[in-house]
Amino acid sequence: MVEPVYLIVVALGAAFSLGLLRKAGFVMHHLVLLLSLATMTAISAQWTVGLFTGSVSPAAIPTAGFSPPISINLQMGKTEGFLTLLVNLSVFLSSLFMIKTVKRRSVYVPMLMLVFASGLNGIIMTRDLFNLFVFIEIMSIALAGLIVLNGDIQQLGAGFKYILAGALTSGLMLIGIIFTYHTTGSLNIDTIANALTPELKAVGYAGLFLIFIGVLIELKPFPVNGFGLDVYESAHPAVGAVVSAGAATATLYAFAKIAIMSGDLFLELSMVVGAVTFVGMNVVALQQKIANRLLGYSSLSQVGLLVLVWSLVKWQNIANGDLIVLGLLVTHAFAKATLFWLSGIIQKEKIEDWGIIKQRIYLLFPFAIALLALIGLPPFPSFFAKWELIMALAANQSHLAIALILGGSLVEAVYLMRWFGHAFKNTAAEDETLSVSFCQLLPVFAGGLLLIGLGYPASLLSATASPIPWMLTAFVLFTFAMEFLPAKIKNIIVMAAIAWYGYPLLTTIGGYRVIFAGIFVIGALVTMIPGFSHKGNRLGFYPSLTMMFAGLIGIIEAKETMSFFFYWEMMTVGSYFLILRGKNSKPHALSYFLFSLGGAYLILAAFGYSFGQTTSVSLDTLSQVASTPYAALVMLFLSIGFMTKTASVGLHIWLPGAHAEAESDVSPMVSGILLKAGIFGLLMTFIALGDQKIGFVDIAYVLSWVGAISALVGNYLAAMQEDAKRLLAYSSVGQMGYALFGLSLMSHLGWLGALSLSVIHFTYKVILFLAVGGIVYRLKTKNMYEMGGLIRKMPITFFAVLVSIIALSGIPPLAGFGGRWVAYNAVIEKGWMLQGAIIGFSGIIAFLYLFRLIHTIFLGQLKDAHRKVKEAPLPFLLPQMLLIGLVMFLSSRPHTFLAPIGEIVKEFKPDGALTWTGPLAQSHLGYWDGVMVMWVFMGLFAANFALLFIMNRRAQPVKQFNIVYAAERPARPETTHFAYNFFAPYRRALGFLEYPLATHFFDGITDFLHAAAGFIRRLYTGNGQTYLFQIVAFVVVVFLLANGGF
Amino acid sequence: MNIVYAVATIFITINYGLVLQGIIGKVYARVATRIGLRIYQPYINIIRQWVTRTSINHGIMYYLGPVFRFTGGGGILIFLPVIYGAPFFSSFSSAGDMLLIMYFMFLGTLGMALGGGESGHPYAAIAVTRGLAQTTAAEFPLILAIFSIVTQYQTLDVNQIVAAQQGSVLNWTLFTNPLATIAAMLAFLGSMMRSPFDVVLAPQEIPIGPPTEYQSQFLAMLMTNRTIFPVAKTILYVNLFFGGVALQDSWLLTFVIFFLKTFFVYMWSVFVGVSFPRFRVDQSVRWFLKAPAALGVLAIIFVQTGM
Amino acid sequence: MTSTIAMTTGILLVLIGLFAILTQKDLIRIIVGFSIFDIGVHVIMISIGYISDATAPIIENLSQLGQSYVDPVPQALVLTAIVIGLGISAFMLTFAVFMFKKRGSLDINSFRDLKW
Repeated sequence: MVEPVYLIVVALGAAFSLGLLRKAGFVMHHLVLLLSLATMTAISAQWTVGLFTGSVSPAAIPTAGFSPPISINLQMGKTEGFLTLLVNLSVFLSSLFMIKTVKRRSVYVPMLMLVFASGLNGIIMTRDLFNLFVFIEIMSIALAGLIVLNGDIQQLGAGFKYILAGALTSGLMLIGIIFTYHTTGSLNIDTIANALTPELKAVGYAGLFLIFIGVLIELKPFPVNGFGLDVYESAHPAVGAVVSAGAATATLYAFAKIAIMSGDLFLELSMVVGAVTFVGMNVVALQQKIANRLLGYSSLSQVGLLVLVWSLVKWQNIANGDLIVLGLLVTHAFAKATLFWLSGIIQKEKIEDWGIIKQRIYLLFPFAIALLALIGLPPFPSFFAKWELIMALAANQSHLAIALILGGSLVEAVYLMRWFGHAFKNTAAEDETLSVSFCQLLPVFAGGLLLIGLGYPASLLSATASPIPWMLTAFVLFTFAMEFLPAKIKNIIVMAAIAWYGYPLLTTIGGYRVIFAGIFVIGALVTMIPGFSHKGNRLGFYPSLTMMFAGLIGIIEAKETMSFFFYWEMMTVGSYFLILRGKNSKPHALSYFLFSLGGAYLILAAFGYSFGQTTSVSLDTLSQVASTPYAALVMLFLSIGFMTKTASVGLHIWLPGAHAEAESDVSPMVSGILLKAGIFGLLMTFIALGDQKIGFVDIAYVLSWVGAISALVGNYLAAMQEDAKRLLAYSSVGQMGYALFGLSLMSHLGWLGALSLSVIHFTYKVILFLAVGGIVYRLKTKNMYEMGGLIRKMPITFFAVLVSIIALSGIPPLAGFGGRWVAYNAVIEKGWMLQGAIIGFSGIIAFLYLFRLIHTIFLGQLKDAHRKVKEAPLPFLLPQMLLIGLVMFLSSRPHTFLAPIGEIVKEFKPDGALTWTGPLAQSHLGYWDGVMVMWVFMGLFAANFALLFIMNRRAQPVKQFNIVYAAERPARPETTHFAYNFFAPYRRALGFLEYPLATHFFDGITDFLHAAAGFIRRLYTGNGQTYLFQIVAFVVVVFLLANGGF
Repeated sequence: MNIVYAVATIFITINYGLVLQGIIGKVYARVATRIGLRIYQPYINIIRQWVTRTSINHGIMYYLGPVFRFTGGGGILIFLPVIYGAPFFSSFSSAGDMLLIMYFMFLGTLGMALGGGESGHPYAAIAVTRGLAQTTAAEFPLILAIFSIVTQYQTLDVNQIVAAQQGSVLNWTLFTNPLATIAAMLAFLGSMMRSPFDVVLAPQEIPIGPPTEYQSQFLAMLMTNRTIFPVAKTILYVNLFFGGVALQDSWLLTFVIFFLKTFFVYMWSVFVGVSFPRFRVDQSVRWFLKAPAALGVLAIIFVQTGM
Repeated sequence: MTSTIAMTTGILLVLIGLFAILTQKDLIRIIVGFSIFDIGVHVIMISIGYISDATAPIIENLSQLGQSYVDPVPQALVLTAIVIGLGISAFMLTFAVFMFKKRGSLDINSFRDLKW
């Protein structure tokens, strides 16, 4: 083992030798820089590996031949090893990144970098108060030099403000250090910690407080961090990266040392400051349009989060608290560094201009990885850290902390994913080109890979869950590797993989899961067929798709809450990327993501409380919560969480845009298949928790109203759409409303209805979206009033739509009726008539949009522009035909799927099951024989058709305009095709249903947050003196706060 | 055998419907102080259309529209127990309960709407939008009323509902659940295409709607359906609210009861129709969602609270 | 007594320095304010370690062992602190020079390019 002191020696030595090698030239300078940083990285890596595997024991390194407390001593333990590795690696990668991009090719840059690195290592390793101060100063001075790398006025201003603020705080720290020395007689952190008796704490409070507040201000808490933001904004991105990954990390550890030294004196205080910083910075960042400054906001908010979490885990003595903090820290360091490096490549100030990233499309991968890691999504270390944290907090019932952390993360996701949307969707000016060098790519991809790679070890450290089923994740990663292949081949591979994985799953899984597994697996295979119509390699599509389907299959397979949540989030991410691929889907994909994330956080909190109450992470034991005081809360959170997926009214506003603007073959996936994940979750919840009451209010009763109103509003709005895909999307809102209503009945028939509806909805909604997708593919428009008369051009599509609208509307003899019949039986049995009547009313309103859909597209007048339109391509037609076959089968033999589903439901709700006599179903209220209805229908239809055919086989076919039209023939089809504002009278009568209450509500929240951000950020006046004043005021306020001065 | 009974049911109903139409024509005429057409005029009309030689066809859906329509109308009739206790007048009622009948009604509507739509005439589509809009609203009080009586009788089986009303006139739903009956009878008006809810067809001015686009045998089939569909619907109402028609000792008596009951229920819409001016569609939508819906809700509350 | 005077002086200097830093608009004056502040901090440090009537902790021969010395640690620390403070002052002055060259002004209000 190389002595840890060499971490500092190498850095300083190399820095000084560079002074001698001044004339040696650029290459030599950077060679020395990189070599010494590599050496340092190797040393800390060696120690980290050794310490974590246990082959070496932590070392205390005395200096000057004395042992502490007489001398300054350094320490190398697990944390120190890991953190030095982290900072050295990030500084190394940043130095590599800088080589090609630094304008000023002077020896000072490598020198400063090395001094900076030595400061970081010193801060992490030292155990001496004054030495800590010295290293902080070394780091600050080196950093101030690095900030002004380009020497422009912005950097000079930022650097000056930074030094001023640093000088002030270091003065405060110095006073604090000397007072603490005066009280305790030592400068050694450990000695002081041991010496601090309660009396000494009281006497030496001021000194300890000054040190504490000094280090805290070095961490740039809200609102005294204007100088820090200026640094992030103006500094070279490579410097931004080392500030974020290196300086923040080291300073955080310094803070931790001071806080431990002060014995729990300031834990509450730092929790408050951390929380305020985390939430405050995230909110203020909402208004930020400048990429680097946005990164600054995000960095500072993350540091706030780390301060908060560190203090929380210490305060509550959370078992593996250090690992939680390290997980968050390492994610933040590498993610933020990666983002800064990317910013250095893109070189665009405004986030709106990041569309240029698509010139090097592969850069989107590390970009997405870094953003998702920051938000805490799987499979990154932060995901596991956040999971552990929420579990522990929920167990300790720290409601406020959970709310703050999850709420803050949600706000953070807003601006991060908005940024990704800009990068993914905006187009750059033609004449701009993006040049990238190897030295820049290496750090970026190293950062991305490290984030992925660290996920696995992070998951092993989790104390509250058994291992994740990694196989699906592995396949997702594999799809990244095969991105270079043509789309058709990838389509085959992914389909084969899903079939290979799905078939055994379907045969073994059993229970109610098999229904959903069937929808997901078969749905995946069917809806992937249209993918064959794509040429090229369709970059990014297959990883997203695989993520979504792996997520869906993962939640089916999950046995523990953690793996459920892991795959739930993965599904959300995959579907977000899929939706984002649509042409105009930028805002809709974002709102989908945010609603899903908000819902996921509620699910997370619910799992946390469930764990806290039952100390079990198994999904099967979720039902144990039912007997605890948290039952209603868990039920409520889970329900709302899953309802964001089913887009129940109030939480539905993301759906129409997201489903309508997605690509033609994505819409059926997200609408026909993905929505069922929400139903699955709701069913799981209801099975586990059953009826729960909050006060006197039965949650299920409330949900039944939500379901009914979703059905009404969804169907009504569907009827009012001009855009065919939006119509179908709103229709899904309504249909999922039925399903929610059915589930909330909490009876055998209600669940049977909801489950059969889920199956059937899958078939016809996929058909409809594919049909409309095929039409949009040919016509290049989604507006129904621009279509018309397509029945002759696309007869197969017409037939598919006809069958599926009959099935959707529930008209016998097709399969939709079975679900309706069961549902009404359930309603009457339960006695929830008013909701039931609204469901019935919405069912009839469904006719409005269904007729509109089929009429305005296929009937009426064919437009001149469409006279040469061809039938939709085969890859679109084939799955429709397959599914029509399925619908027809289910329609003519409804008992073959209703009876088995009934058997599954019986397991949970044995009472009130149907009795089947062959195809005849009997409830205690009524009866229905699907097969007989089908025969009657077919007989009558055939007879009537024969009659008509015999009587008028000579009917003369006529052309389009051969109609009685006020004694004229219409001049143009447009004037005669009745399609726009189709249900005008209905709108006059019931237009109030269109009032966008939910949209206004959520708009109100976002507007408020943005307005608040716009107001608060005026704190950052740009004037260095104001910042200094803020620091002084902050110190005073915090002091008063800590001592009850208010 | 059932098939023969079904065809017979349809045949009898067609004749009955044609007679009814003739009578209604007379009523309308006399109210307007006209003499009116001959009472057998509907027979002439329908036969004339069936045998017309020229006919034009706008396309496959246009062709199938009347087929769907008649399938829907005929289907309801044979799924209904027309006469309680007489198996050959309830030929296929074992296929499903009231829910089946309620939903099957829409099949014909949909078929005709689509058929008319393919003609390409905008009026056809306009009429369909009006008709659908009005129907949605008119069905709402009906759903409430049906929920109410289903709760009352605890069954969805029309036969059993009729059975429960036997014995005395006071056992009719009309008397045991007057609110539901009123709500349903108001809803009934909305589906009979008569004033004040006939703007859908606007028969007195420019005739609009899918039937306008049809001629010859197509129209004949639609007209045939129009004779049986309202009757089928009336039978449903009679069964649900007015004690149904039970098989009596003599067939003659049975038919007399059948004719009287259906006639008066049918005439309810005619009487209202001749007395009131016409609503616009948005007005009728709002109308149905106010008083009739409120009555329906009250009917449910009364039944559920056992009052 | 001496240490109290020193301490008071130090605190006064710190406050004067702070006042200058917070009120002066000229970069050079702010830097001067910082220097005063820094010196105040150093004086406070020395005064902490001072013991009345004690001598410097320099032991030249063993006979001096019994005497009372002032605490040597603050004095050692203050040396380092002075060096750092000097470095920072110099650094700030350099910045000020460059900033003046770029913008032609020394008013701190004229360096508000970055805000919000």
